[in-house]
Amino acid sequence: MEQQNPHGRGADAVLNLQPNSSVAIAYHSLFGPHDDLVLLEVDEKLLEEVLHERVSIRGQAEEEAVFCTKSKTYGIKYVGTSNSVLLIPPSGRSEYYENELDSQGNDSTKEVVPVIKLAPGIMELVEIAPRIDKLKLLLSENPYSLADEWESEEMDKCEKQMYNWNDLLDKVQASDDELKAGLRALSAVEIDGYWRLVDEKYMDSMLQMLLNNRILNDWSLDALDEGVLMKVMKMDGFSETLVHHCLDVYGDKLEGDEGNSCLWRLDEKRVCVHFAREVLRKGKMKVEHFMDEWQKKIPVEMHANFDMLEGEVLTERLGVETWVRGFRVSSLPLNPVERFSILFRERPKWEWKDLQPYIRDLTVPGLSSEGLLLKYTRRTQPNPEAEPVFSAR
Amino acid sequence: MQIKVKCNCGETKCLEWAVVELQGIVEAQPSFEDRFQTLEIGVLCRPSAQEVYTFTVGYHELTGSKVPLKKPLLVLKKKKCVDEDQSGDTKSATAELEVIGIIRQRFLFKTRPKALISKPQPSVKERSRASGSAVTGQTT
Repeated sequence: MEQQNPHGRGADAVLNLQPNSSVAIAYHSLFGPHDDLVLLEVDEKLLEEVLHERVSIRGQAEEEAVFCTKSKTYGIKYVGTSNSVLLIPPSGRSEYYENELDSQGNDSTKEVVPVIKLAPGIMELVEIAPRIDKLKLLLSENPYSLADEWESEEMDKCEKQMYNWNDLLDKVQASDDELKAGLRALSAVEIDGYWRLVDEKYMDSMLQMLLNNRILNDWSLDALDEGVLMKVMKMDGFSETLVHHCLDVYGDKLEGDEGNSCLWRLDEKRVCVHFAREVLRKGKMKVEHFMDEWQKKIPVEMHANFDMLEGEVLTERLGVETWVRGFRVSSLPLNPVERFSILFRERPKWEWKDLQPYIRDLTVPGLSSEGLLLKYTRRTQPNPEAEPVFSAR
Repeated sequence: MQIKVKCNCGETKCLEWAVVELQGIVEAQPSFEDRFQTLEIGVLCRPSAQEVYTFTVGYHELTGSKVPLKKPLLVLKKKKCVDEDQSGDTKSATAELEVIGIIRQRFLFKTRPKALISKPQPSVKERSRASGSAVTGQTT
């Protein structure tokens, strides 16, 4: 259907209409609804992304589709119009090129340009937060555990509910960068090509083993030699990928080492928080008892500080006693409606200093943190000096 | 599912489409029923060097102007390709979107149509020119 038309009987004839001239506009011989043609509004920045083929539409059949660039996610909104929007394709390299009009017996001095369809509306893009909660849901179906090491390799990856990068792109409505950030936030690790969460018990046993080994070998927690550590941990039955993951979760690689092997420093806060979670697994307890148990678990060089547990524990005053209970911000959904509903179910009233750790990770494009509070909470302040209290709307 | 948005424009410029927008609807005379393909809608005229245009539909004349769009519109075409390389009888239809054009300006006619009564045209001639259209249903 592609033809060259040097005379230009299409959009160009209209767009370049010279003064004191006219052009006839007619229905195309293929005029129709052409539902396969859609109009998408983009700004100049997004245009650049589209022209370089860096965008895609993502979502399962039952989900509302989203539009993703490399780093951002956009909702797609259909905006209808009651106007008649006559769509005129260009001449030349277009499958909608029209030549039949030539034979319609029109005045040969007059140009005729064809209208292929009436556009009933356009698609607009609105930046949204990625729908990343589904990632946690998918990866939680089958976390990596000891069982993985016992099972035979032959099990179908599909039956075992495991997802590689492409599977995740197919299933999660987020841009590539947001998906990567989501995987990092969940401490997921790629094992044999599949992205997995590692079972907490497994992580715990790995960290314990690492700490035991460093006592036996007299290593410094500030400069763990990756190569030496790998060798020892391998003898204890841990794979290189998982040991590396363990270092990544609880430590930081030191920059600028000149040797063949990298050095790692364990992060005090992350290690302490890990052990606090282990203690809190037992349920609600008195704060003194908790601090006691916690101190006992952590390496001697490290110092547990209750401030480390923002977004990890809730404290409650019962008479003269203070009780603590595990309540992790990382276990809460990122969708603000669901987040606030869970928070207010947990506690009908929140003081700002308690609430803040549980909402500071929420980001909604176009909505500031004040806007977020305004939209989802009711703020009460009995008198101007008092701390504001937030409750459900 | 992931639908890649393709663009074959490559390094060359995206072909520009034109839009003529008017309020209300253009209706073909009932005698044409649904067979109005190739039927002439009207004549777009640029009477002066200014970006002012008239659009004459039947014996109605609209006056409007060429306005650049604040944000460009991309013309996308949906394509369905059926993958059969999947094992067995599970055929998965993968869709593809291709950018086939861009719209940067529109001819907008938002005035109420003016009836061309000063020079009534003989109805016979009107029909022979196949201008069997009229603007109806003015909306805001």
